[in-house]
Amino acid sequence: MDYTFTFLGLDIPIIPVAWMLAKIVVVFAGVMGLSAVLTWAERKGAALIQDRIGPNRAKFIGNFRLFGIFHLAGDGLKLIFKEDLVPGHVSRWLFWIAPLLAFIPAMMGFAIVPFGQSFEWRDFTFHLSVIDPENGMGMLYPLAIAALAVYGIFTASWASNNKFSMLSGMRGAAHMVSYEIGLSLAVIAVFMQAGHYDPHRIIEAQTGLWNVFAQPVGFLVFLVCAFAETNRLPFDFAEGESEIVAGFLTEFSGMKLGFLWLSEYIHLVTISALMATLYFGGWKIPFMPDPVGLLSNWLGPWIGPWLGVLLSIAAFAAKLLAFCWFFIWVRWTLPRFRYDQLMFIGWKVMLPIGFANLLFYAWLIHRAAA
Amino acid sequence: MFLAFALITLGAAFALFMQRNAVQAGLCMMLSFFGVAGLFLLLSNPVAAALQVIIYSGAITILVLFVVMLLQSHQEEPAARPGLVQKILSAVLVAVLALGAIKLVFSSSALANMPLEPPNKELMTLHKLGEQLFSEHIVALEAVGLLLLSAMVAAVILVKKEAQ
Repeated sequence: MDYTFTFLGLDIPIIPVAWMLAKIVVVFAGVMGLSAVLTWAERKGAALIQDRIGPNRAKFIGNFRLFGIFHLAGDGLKLIFKEDLVPGHVSRWLFWIAPLLAFIPAMMGFAIVPFGQSFEWRDFTFHLSVIDPENGMGMLYPLAIAALAVYGIFTASWASNNKFSMLSGMRGAAHMVSYEIGLSLAVIAVFMQAGHYDPHRIIEAQTGLWNVFAQPVGFLVFLVCAFAETNRLPFDFAEGESEIVAGFLTEFSGMKLGFLWLSEYIHLVTISALMATLYFGGWKIPFMPDPVGLLSNWLGPWIGPWLGVLLSIAAFAAKLLAFCWFFIWVRWTLPRFRYDQLMFIGWKVMLPIGFANLLFYAWLIHRAAA
Repeated sequence: MFLAFALITLGAAFALFMQRNAVQAGLCMMLSFFGVAGLFLLLSNPVAAALQVIIYSGAITILVLFVVMLLQSHQEEPAARPGLVQKILSAVLVAVLALGAIKLVFSSSALANMPLEPPNKELMTLHKLGEQLFSEHIVALEAVGLLLLSAMVAAVILVKKEAQ
């Protein structure tokens, strides 16, 4: 069977291209949908923790309420149809571009994460991550994208041109750059343990023992820095609504505000996915190192592989959702730090611990090799 | 692809000089660094591209912008308008220098001997980078480490003095 067709003089292999398009659509829709649902989960979770009922009024067709999940549609519609107010004192061009600068890097991060086990069909190998493995960029890619996340906050705050927003931008820039160092140090220890920096290899290296048990201290450093990187409580200094109004969000309204909000939740999804990949074995299921192979042996070559792939995707999704819930849980449990405490934790606690962790594993690996 | 990235790099660099607004100029700088990262990708060196984005687009530009923001309240006096003679003189000077540089590049023997095909199309990885750094370039690596350490110690001393 011929798998290529010619278009504008180019031979295009149908199956890899179609697979790539399908992956892009699924990942884009999945991340967008999940982050939208998370806005509802945040409100419902807050209500749960504070012993309230939370959103429960929106109805859909008759009396169908479903725990108020239709508030989600209501929120979205409200944001879209609200008047798009551009205050007179803002930097107009940057004011328009800031929500995009927040949104685009947030969307890009997930592309490297493998969300299921790779499988073979006919002569092709299908990888369940938008960027195929062995690309040479590996886990450096999400770090690079995370480094860009700060521009959204920074541009939004500067474009807003008021004191509170400006303060928020400077806080955000300072703490995100500080905590990125701790984050990178924790990730480097994982690279050394796995002997590679490709996410597929890192997951493969966690067969039998997840990195969270192999490197508990590194995981703690990563977790704390992840909270800082996503601007979530107890580190939401850029927003800080009790201190600086709403920080960089103050002047925004309508769908611009929507994009800035949404990008926060997309960051949350991405960092949860990274945590699952780096420390919790990605799509791996405990005591089942190779679901596709195992189920193929049990159920035969027809249903087995597909069920195996679905099972691995479900395992990944379960870990991802657990971390998303953890972020919401912490947000409504812990109060915000003081600013000097934030800097103290970043530079004098997380950085030395990250370094010590790195050196310890370097020493272990050196001793094992000698 | 090369043209696209080269145009992004050069266009953003040009916009950087044309911008009157310091923060917008900083954003243009980020875009220009991005173009360079794309060029690294085309040279099959994704590691350099990632590091370019992490360090230059991410950290350095944001530090520059941070300083710009800190100095916001401080108004400098506007620069004096350059006269016509100065304008013409500088344009001629730049043109002569640019022509000289281009001529130098084109007449160099290294360019004539350069193969059209890139020598190795193998993907650069972190492993290869590490091996290279710790074998061929070990002296340079140590020197950079020493330099950074002394810079850091100097920074700490400066801050300490201020605190006292």
